[in-house]
Amino acid sequence: MIEAVGPIKRKFAPWDDPALKPFIRFENVTKRFGDFTAVDNLTLDIYEREFFALLGPSGCGKTTLMRMLAGFEQPTEGRILLDGKDLSGIPPYKRPANMMFQSYALFPHMTVEGNIAFGLKQEGMDATSIATRVAEMLELVKLEKFAKRKPHQLSGGQRQRVALARSLAKRPKVLLLDEPLGALDKKLREETQFELMDIQMELGMTFLIVTHDQEEAMTVSDRIAVMNHGVIAQIGTASEIYEQPASRYVADFVGDINLIDGKVTAVADGVATLRCDGVDATIVAEAGPGGIAVGAEASFAIRPEKVQIAMEPPPAGTPNVLAGEVWDIGYLGDISVYRVRLAGGSIVKATVANLTRIVERPITWEDKVFLTWPVDAGVILVK
Amino acid sequence: MAERRTRDVKPFLGKWALVAVPYLWSLLFFLAPFLIIFKISLSETAIAMPPYTPVIAGVSDLWTKLSDFTFDNYVFLTEDPLYYSAYLSSLRIALVSTVLLLIVGYPIAYGMARAPKSLRNALVMAVILPFWTSFLIRVYAWIGILKPEGLLTIALQGLGILGPNEQVHIYNTEIAVFIGIVYSYLPFMVLPLYAALEKLDATLLEAAADLGCPPTKSFWVITFPLSLPGVIAGCFLCFIPIVGEFVIPDLLGGSETLMIGKTLWAEFFNNRDWPVSSAVAVVLLIILVVPIVIFQNQQKKA
Amino acid sequence: MTKMVRQRLLGAAALTVALATGAVAQDKVVNVYNWSDYVDESVLQEFTKETGIKVVYDVFDNQDIVETKMLAGGSGYDVVVVTGPFLARQIAAGVYQPLDKSKLPNLSNMWPEVTSRVAEYDPGNQYGVDYMWGTTGIGYNVEKIKAIMPDAPVNSWDMVFKPEIVSKFKDCGVQFLDASEELIPAALKYLGKNPDSKNAADMEEAGKLLASVKPYVQKFHSSEYINALANGDICLAVGYSGDILQARNRAAEAKNGVTIQYVIPKEGANMWFDIMAIPKDAPNPDAAHAFINFMMKPDVIAKSSNYVAYANGNLASQKFIDPAILSDVSIYPDQETLANLFSTTPYDAKAQRVLTRVWTSVKTGM
Repeated sequence: MIEAVGPIKRKFAPWDDPALKPFIRFENVTKRFGDFTAVDNLTLDIYEREFFALLGPSGCGKTTLMRMLAGFEQPTEGRILLDGKDLSGIPPYKRPANMMFQSYALFPHMTVEGNIAFGLKQEGMDATSIATRVAEMLELVKLEKFAKRKPHQLSGGQRQRVALARSLAKRPKVLLLDEPLGALDKKLREETQFELMDIQMELGMTFLIVTHDQEEAMTVSDRIAVMNHGVIAQIGTASEIYEQPASRYVADFVGDINLIDGKVTAVADGVATLRCDGVDATIVAEAGPGGIAVGAEASFAIRPEKVQIAMEPPPAGTPNVLAGEVWDIGYLGDISVYRVRLAGGSIVKATVANLTRIVERPITWEDKVFLTWPVDAGVILVK
Repeated sequence: MAERRTRDVKPFLGKWALVAVPYLWSLLFFLAPFLIIFKISLSETAIAMPPYTPVIAGVSDLWTKLSDFTFDNYVFLTEDPLYYSAYLSSLRIALVSTVLLLIVGYPIAYGMARAPKSLRNALVMAVILPFWTSFLIRVYAWIGILKPEGLLTIALQGLGILGPNEQVHIYNTEIAVFIGIVYSYLPFMVLPLYAALEKLDATLLEAAADLGCPPTKSFWVITFPLSLPGVIAGCFLCFIPIVGEFVIPDLLGGSETLMIGKTLWAEFFNNRDWPVSSAVAVVLLIILVVPIVIFQNQQKKA
Repeated sequence: MTKMVRQRLLGAAALTVALATGAVAQDKVVNVYNWSDYVDESVLQEFTKETGIKVVYDVFDNQDIVETKMLAGGSGYDVVVVTGPFLARQIAAGVYQPLDKSKLPNLSNMWPEVTSRVAEYDPGNQYGVDYMWGTTGIGYNVEKIKAIMPDAPVNSWDMVFKPEIVSKFKDCGVQFLDASEELIPAALKYLGKNPDSKNAADMEEAGKLLASVKPYVQKFHSSEYINALANGDICLAVGYSGDILQARNRAAEAKNGVTIQYVIPKEGANMWFDIMAIPKDAPNPDAAHAFINFMMKPDVIAKSSNYVAYANGNLASQKFIDPAILSDVSIYPDQETLANLFSTTPYDAKAQRVLTRVWTSVKTGM
């Protein structure tokens, strides 16, 4: 069985170790399809044993990046290094990376066993070793009973597991996962995400996953690269991306966010003051990366769960206060989402964890409320 | 009650009518002609109109004349090695032609299936286009190409491959028959192959490459096995009519090209022996139908 | 066999001559079924002009097809042109109706010599009237034969039936008519046997003779030799007199340096007759009689003879025939040659089977 190896994972941060060499390196890689630039002068380092996610909307270049690593596409410019070796000119069938396809791409005329053994046969492995490895893989993905079935006799989830087993069978240095869970329903997807993490830990491989699902990326990966129009918008751990978005784009793409526009009036010790005429308020918050100058147009970004909502006005001197009226309430079970309409007409979202079952006087529609947050709860981003 | 019953019966009848249509169709267009031919094959020739006896005028006739029927014609077919050889020769020519068709047709279908999507319809049209000209004209055109003083000779002489007095002697040989058959039946091979290959998911080949399989090998382990339904359909579509082919061997082949279609023609027209030619046709049908049925049964089991 | 194919082609080429002369009697029609390339089409127009009957003219180039059609019945033809032995068998099968001679006053123009020979197939000339007649002999390319074998016995069946001789012409091309009922009797005659023999052993012996020269024969075909001779593709052929003469004319027109000659071999050759008859189920028997009577007009049939280079069975027409044709002994043979010509009678089913089988074995070696 797979052991829980969480604690080790927490300490895992090779990207912070300057002595370590990256395992995979995209070096100034550009890929053009005719007039369209899918990947634009992109440089990216991925470390051994890392679970790395490429996150972005469709058409952002993430799949192209992965296909270049697999060898299905050639970079127009730049080069890709794997374990220090330049991959250019090496055909896909000679690369030490295996891919799990979005469509699974199982060979319909072969059994589950046949599919899993396929890569091993290409290696010229002897029959007994193949049988052992296949059995191992079937056990890993819990499909022992389905060895003799053909793909069309399996459910979607089972097929996904076969695809995974097949791509893992050769013990590749790198496993590429192209939207691997896209076809599964939510519950199965979540389960599988954790299984993927466990498998990655156990086998000690480098995983590169492409996904447009930010929750998935955040769940499984050590680091995430958020991509937009062929460039990387931000690289970081899930919490870095979430809590310290480098741009409005990242803040908006990853998770839910409130954005309030204004003008910077003061900057001191990494804390900026933003005058927001639209909502008639002054916001004090940490300045985001990239340097913020007085007078610049900027946005204040804050996650809904960081916004506190109260019926009583906060004590005087509280730094960030917005007054408004409850416009809409979404009850989601674990949390409730309040959409609060401010004086200027704009809406700010605040989520509250439903910690108790019964509340004496719940906040309800048309209640006058006050929204507050500490100075370090949000971030000011230059437009 | 009575009303309810009629309501129940109607959809029931309607459903059966729907099921019956295809059966009726095959009864009308396959079984009835076959039975007529089978009946003639049990008759004897006569100088009369029509030239055989007995002639069945009605159902009541059938029973009174039943004793006149004879299997002599079938016995006759076994007595002369001509028929045996003609069947074998036809099967051999059909087999060789089908293999040639597969060899020629597969790369064409493969190229079409791999062509850009915008081009594919045009390529399918190009394959079908020759059908818009009469088949006979096209076979005649091959005579113009293959005859000793034809275009092929002229072209080869022009290229210096043949000397000015040398000629290509393909016309009136079995090679010409194969060329004519392969040319004429090519669309019947290409189109089913194309249909099968076009459906093939290109990511399967990427997956194979990803798992370490070079392209030439992945053709044999992925593409070809997955195109087998098209291969089988194409082979059947070609093989069966080629066995009974008459026109192409007659026009392009020499007099020694022995095929069952020609034998059947001679029985029917030269000998005016409708019963024997019917027996030849019935045997041909059995030779073709039996293996197909066996094959289909095995497909079902597999 | 190929004739079947050609026949289809010709059908497609629509040699169906639909002749409409004015609005008169549009509904009167005669359906004629004749060999291809066997009539001067202006004759048909004249018929319509004279009688107001429209001619629907359909062609074949294979007797076997005609017989199969006639035996199946309901062909829809009013006048069919059939060759002697075929006519005899079809009469026996009950295909034709007796002629109403009161409607055929032009019978008086016919040539008794021919009519009496036709009576062999049609006793008492009850069912048919001769249209044309001809012989089956040898056509050759004069220059090429001379070059290869200056002393070639061109007026003898030795040319094609003697392996040592015919083998010399293999490379310049030899074709035989694909017609068992022509080649087997010719071979029998050459062997000194009765050309009309229905004896299986005789026919097999003739088959052996033909098989011995088969290696030198490029092709057995019923019409290909016409063009092949004219173009100089082949230098020797056994074929119908008219067809070879047609090849001669084409070569002369083309001025390609090819001279074709037709000979009736001195051993004797088959004399055949193409006879007009009316099917029992003819839809327009009156029109059929009118057509046959018209074709017996001396100037009309002479026109066709001049056009197709075949002799006809109409004595009165001879004064209208082109002197070049009338004096050509390969078309109108002299008395001596005429006496040497033989005719064949129909084969019964059993003899026919032997004949076809022998022929198949000649062609395929099976």
